[in-house]
Amino acid sequence: MSTTDCEHVLRQIELYLDGELVGFERVEIERHLGGCHPCSGHADFQRRLKEMLRDKCGCRDVPDELPERIRALLDAPEHPRAPDAPA
Amino acid sequence: MARSQATVPEDPALRERFEREVLPLLPNLYGAALRMTRNPQDAEDVVQETYLRAYRGFAGFREGTNLRAWMYRILTNTFINSYRKRQREPATVPDDDIEDWYLYDRLGASVAEPSAENEVLEQIPDEDVQRALESLPDGFRMAVLLADVEGFSYKEIAEILDIPIGTVMSRLHRGRKALQKALWETVRERGLVND
Repeated sequence: MSTTDCEHVLRQIELYLDGELVGFERVEIERHLGGCHPCSGHADFQRRLKEMLRDKCGCRDVPDELPERIRALLDAPEHPRAPDAPA
Repeated sequence: MARSQATVPEDPALRERFEREVLPLLPNLYGAALRMTRNPQDAEDVVQETYLRAYRGFAGFREGTNLRAWMYRILTNTFINSYRKRQREPATVPDDDIEDWYLYDRLGASVAEPSAENEVLEQIPDEDVQRALESLPDGFRMAVLLADVEGFSYKEIAEILDIPIGTVMSRLHRGRKALQKALWETVRERGLVND
């Protein structure tokens, strides 16, 4: 078996970090990362980027009155037309 | 037959279930709407419309299927149908010369200390990270938002955005590259690297 080369790993790293690789493909990447400092540096960095986006662009404080406004909208007897509401 | 398609469910149990299962998703949906619309007032409008549409369709929603993905699909459709049309912006990111470009490499070449790349990331203010994400064209921004911020799988994103999985992958790849370029501009402007 030929060793997995760095170019291949860098192409697969997003899939790997996104949890989209399974079985042998995943094991293959993990084995390479375990022994390749530059590639594991790339992987760590991209993982941190993902975490940073989740932490900094995620769930904001909802405006205080928004939940009540939504409840009122749901309970209103007359609703504005929403013709493309999903079935 | 006097049966209106627009009638909202009257069933108290359904209303109660909607309240219990769907309203707790509000913080995430509102956060996503903020990143989509880029401003709080439009985000509130999109979210309210999303909830109304969801409520109308809730009787047909099958329990046991993916409620979160269902709600994000309504959110993205609401955004696309109601708000995106107003905006004029490029629909894509530049495809040239980004394949071999990595923020990791650029930071590595610009900071003296070993492994300082991750520390530079920590120093970027939240607002700048949000602005970098918001600078991406809609299709790319939504793919990155759904994957990295909301943690959806490729299959779920394909269903939410109604695009093939291959398109999800290419939008994520190119969107992330464009995001890294925007962050690179930010760290240079902020003087976080010696350039």
